[in-house]
Amino acid sequence: MQNRDWLPPVADDFKTICKQITEGSADRASLARVLHTQLDVNQCTRLMKAVCSDAGASVIACGFAQVKLGIVSNSTQDLLVAPLFIAGLRRGVWLNICLADFDQAWQESQSVNSKLCQFGPDFILINQDYRGYPFANGGVSQAKSDVRSSLDFITQVADGFLANAGVPCIVQNLALPPANLLGNFDIRHHTALSATILAFNQQLAERLSDSPHYLLDVFSEAAHLGGTQWFDQRSWLSSRIALSEEGTLFYCERVAALVGAIKGKSRKCLVLDLDNTLWGGVIGDDGLYGIAIQPGTPRGEAHLRLQQLALELKQAGIILAVCSKNDEKNALEAFQVHPDMLLKETDIAVFVANWQDKPTNLQFIATTLNIGIDALVFVDDNPAEREIVRTMLPDVAVPEMGRDPSTYADILMRANYFESLSQTEDDLNRADQYRANAARSKLQNNATDMQEYLRSLEMVARVEPFLSSNIVRVTQLVNKTNQFNLTTKRYTQDQIERMAANVDMLTLSVRLADRFGDNGLVSVVICHKQPMQWEIDSWLMSCRVIKRDLEHWICDYLVEHAITSGINQIIARYLPTEKNVLVENLLPELGFCWDEQLQVWSLDTRHYQFHRPPISKLEAS
Amino acid sequence: MSERTEVLSALEDIFDDVFMDADVSFSDSLSSDDIEEWDSLAQIRLLTTIEKHFSIQFEIEQIDQLKSVSSLVDAILAKMA
Repeated sequence: MQNRDWLPPVADDFKTICKQITEGSADRASLARVLHTQLDVNQCTRLMKAVCSDAGASVIACGFAQVKLGIVSNSTQDLLVAPLFIAGLRRGVWLNICLADFDQAWQESQSVNSKLCQFGPDFILINQDYRGYPFANGGVSQAKSDVRSSLDFITQVADGFLANAGVPCIVQNLALPPANLLGNFDIRHHTALSATILAFNQQLAERLSDSPHYLLDVFSEAAHLGGTQWFDQRSWLSSRIALSEEGTLFYCERVAALVGAIKGKSRKCLVLDLDNTLWGGVIGDDGLYGIAIQPGTPRGEAHLRLQQLALELKQAGIILAVCSKNDEKNALEAFQVHPDMLLKETDIAVFVANWQDKPTNLQFIATTLNIGIDALVFVDDNPAEREIVRTMLPDVAVPEMGRDPSTYADILMRANYFESLSQTEDDLNRADQYRANAARSKLQNNATDMQEYLRSLEMVARVEPFLSSNIVRVTQLVNKTNQFNLTTKRYTQDQIERMAANVDMLTLSVRLADRFGDNGLVSVVICHKQPMQWEIDSWLMSCRVIKRDLEHWICDYLVEHAITSGINQIIARYLPTEKNVLVENLLPELGFCWDEQLQVWSLDTRHYQFHRPPISKLEAS
Repeated sequence: MSERTEVLSALEDIFDDVFMDADVSFSDSLSSDDIEEWDSLAQIRLLTTIEKHFSIQFEIEQIDQLKSVSSLVDAILAKMA
């Protein structure tokens, strides 16, 4: 079964949160946590009941655009209500839905006293399946005049609602049925169903183009899912339900996106991570020409495809921004000089590469562009970054990105965040205008919330000396880590092995796991043990786990270890390079003091203030 | 646990998902006469949910036949056999 793969899977505590919403004890953030997941029809029903309960609605309803939507259809639509309501919430719209009786499009549209006209709708959705038009059932000889009479019928219905309810309609085109009658012949023969549907769709678009009505493109949505999955013949034949459950869920997303766009809820800005998102690899470690972005290589092509999409979105008026944990100089250099980069510095309206947490940076981007935080879409390959943004900024759209970069562009397009009603000259220039207006300002720290986030990660660290089982990875890390690296000393595997065997050396390798999985071996410390003091020869850490307070935890560990060994002093050096600015203040932040006489950083273990970050220790097995 | 009990226990969860507010206690002897909400649309939702859970596919004539827990269990076991 095809998933709405831009949404994460449903949380384990889904039912509990629904209950809390019903009791009025859940806030918007916990609603967001369950709302933006792959809810099926039953789960949509449960969540809708919770949200619409007295307590739920009183806490949650504010901030949504209220829309009254009437629906006419020639199929049974009762199963559509809950998923449509939920899809609406995902787009910032609170839908109040009224269904007309089965197959009453004509009658409803022609009288001010009809159920839907009396409902006082904002829009009418005309949900006619191909089986509701004469060409689906009539003889082939009628087809051409049938297309015309079908179009006449549907535009009269739409105009009837316009006259009698005073509101525009959302008119849907037709999905192709999941099979042909005579195979390849159908498409060439104007009386065959598939050819008729294509003609109908084309003429419908033309007829609606100068009307106040909106066109809902069911045709393409069904094609994305596939006709055989879109329709459910058994449900149609037994209950006149047109679509499969999966088809229903995709259909609702499309309707909600359109209604959201009409209410001004479409996203405006695409915020992109860099390392392993816009390119393969980590530029700070792999170097400018070490990143995977070359045409002709599978990995490079995959990342280029995302760049290509970003460029096309920019040309369509979507603002592009960058939010990356990197040194700005390294990150910008790729945009400025790398010949394979499709995106250039001038394509990016706001470029943020620093070591701040991403929620702070996203807020900065929204403020700089003077747009709402709910106008942002944030794309990042790292599940921990996605989670912190979802937790702290529930209004930012954060699509799931799988492990395979070749899927990134399609997932982003399927999520349909940038639903657009028209394209004006202004739209096309918008991205550049935003860039011109964007000004840099200093980021605010958000320390208290960060602590909460770190706790929620449930991090577990494990320390081991260098062992034959980890020496290959230790060597790799020692030789490729540039940014979090105090001394940037490089050692061969042979040297590392000798350190491991040397009783006068203390060697530490640190693994970090969190609730998203194991980050693997991420940090290495090498110390010379002297009778009165320990001297840190090397300390480095993978960029993947920066800003997790792991460095504090490692320092605590080291000091504890020193105290039990009767050591009062630890000394360390910072050897600056082009790339390790990140750690230039690490030692004083950890509590080291500058020893003017010895020209080293020194720490007295007797007066050390333990940091105690929220990381638990797993004893080596 | 016998296969039948396993199916029954999975069905109980599915019934909770489909008839969440219905005021009935789940048992082997439950039928559509006991649950007001168990109408023809709920039946489609119920069968779709069961099919997804057990990775099976019912036939169209079973829609009208499987209106009790015991008949559902029999049909699921037969499909899984």
